[in-house]
Amino acid sequence: MPDVVPTNAASSGVKLDKKSLKAIAARSDRPGLVYLVQWSLGLLVTGAAVWWSVGTLWMWPAMLVHGILLSVPSYAMSHETAHGTAFRTRRLNEAVLWITSLIYMEEPLHRRYSHTNHHTHTWHVGKDSQMPFDTPMGFGGWIAEITGFALLRFHLSVFFNLAIKRYTPTMRAVAPESELPKMTRNARLMLAIYAAILAAPFFGIWWPVWLLVVPRILGAPVMLLFTLIQHVELQENAPSILESTRSFRGSPITNFLYMNMNNHVEHHLYPQVPFHGLPALSDAVRDQLPEPDPGFFRTNWEVLVVSLRRSMGLSTRAPSIRQAPHMISDGGPVRRIAERTM
Amino acid sequence: MTTWVDACATDDIDDEDLIAWHHGGHRYAIYKTDKGFFATDLMCTHEEESLEEGLVMDCIIECPLHGGRFDIRTGEALSAPVSIDLKTYPVKVEGGRVFVALG
Repeated sequence: MPDVVPTNAASSGVKLDKKSLKAIAARSDRPGLVYLVQWSLGLLVTGAAVWWSVGTLWMWPAMLVHGILLSVPSYAMSHETAHGTAFRTRRLNEAVLWITSLIYMEEPLHRRYSHTNHHTHTWHVGKDSQMPFDTPMGFGGWIAEITGFALLRFHLSVFFNLAIKRYTPTMRAVAPESELPKMTRNARLMLAIYAAILAAPFFGIWWPVWLLVVPRILGAPVMLLFTLIQHVELQENAPSILESTRSFRGSPITNFLYMNMNNHVEHHLYPQVPFHGLPALSDAVRDQLPEPDPGFFRTNWEVLVVSLRRSMGLSTRAPSIRQAPHMISDGGPVRRIAERTM
Repeated sequence: MTTWVDACATDDIDDEDLIAWHHGGHRYAIYKTDKGFFATDLMCTHEEESLEEGLVMDCIIECPLHGGRFDIRTGEALSAPVSIDLKTYPVKVEGGRVFVALG
């Protein structure tokens, strides 16, 4: 028997015939390239709105919209390319992984390998290297997560550790030894780019501040609202993805920004399926899965209310989102299950 | 001494696909590509995942769990997270049957 039993369709008891899976998982460059063109055009429009509104109060809503369009797709595309599923052509995939990870602010190979580990040990305490908050989540945890500062601090520590070749036990556990020098090279190059961006205003160059830095800070909370609801309030240490992971109903806007990753249960069951195949995968396995939770706003609202009520010692049953049984209480002290690993 | 073992019919495998074949307590993958038939170990060298549901693209097999890629013809580990090559086995086709060289 193998030492590792990965959390996926097999461990969840979900089945899909091979012919259907192969058709759904087929790779192509086209959908990813179309997405890149649409995203770039969108950024040109929102970037122009920021440029023309600088100096007025309109610059703030413009930077928020631009920041959401910068942050959420960069997360989603960096995730998709870390899986290697965004494009059929590997070099194209790797180039886009590098650029979108630069915007998302995580060293690309660290992103890939820690995420590999997340798929193998999804939401398993002490094994999953991508548990971004303590569970069960209270209001303090919600604030730390949604402001983006906890994640920023973690990613910066990864950058600096890699840059000075101080490889943590987690890095050594998830990444092959041969990849560590590449990770160091990437970290140094990316830190140099960030330093240049931060230094630009000292030379009278302000456009990176208005088009990149401030929008990225403003857009981060929206990006993190997407990632928060992937596993929050669900079961730790479950072999079944159906118990540990949440899908939610999408809309055309959220589906675009998040590259269909609202089908998150489906993604964890079959991580080889590219973003453009997820709707078809969802249709194919629907009768074996729990109903998706309500949409982005309703799901996040319920998570926020539950977190707040938990911190106040009140009952924590949410009206409609799925929760693991131990997440539902009538109030009182909270027993910590997992500590954040990032 | 090499023994040629009858593994399957050529029609048992779809184009650009593989099947799992169990023989003598070992698990093998047998591939049909536009370059011909090939055989490797079935389990990914990264984390003991079966390649059976992996994608075959040209002469590359991609692990379904983490996306590591191997060259089907040589077993070479091509891209992260795999770094250890797959073992390969000689294959011949005779009379519509695929034979794998073992031993």
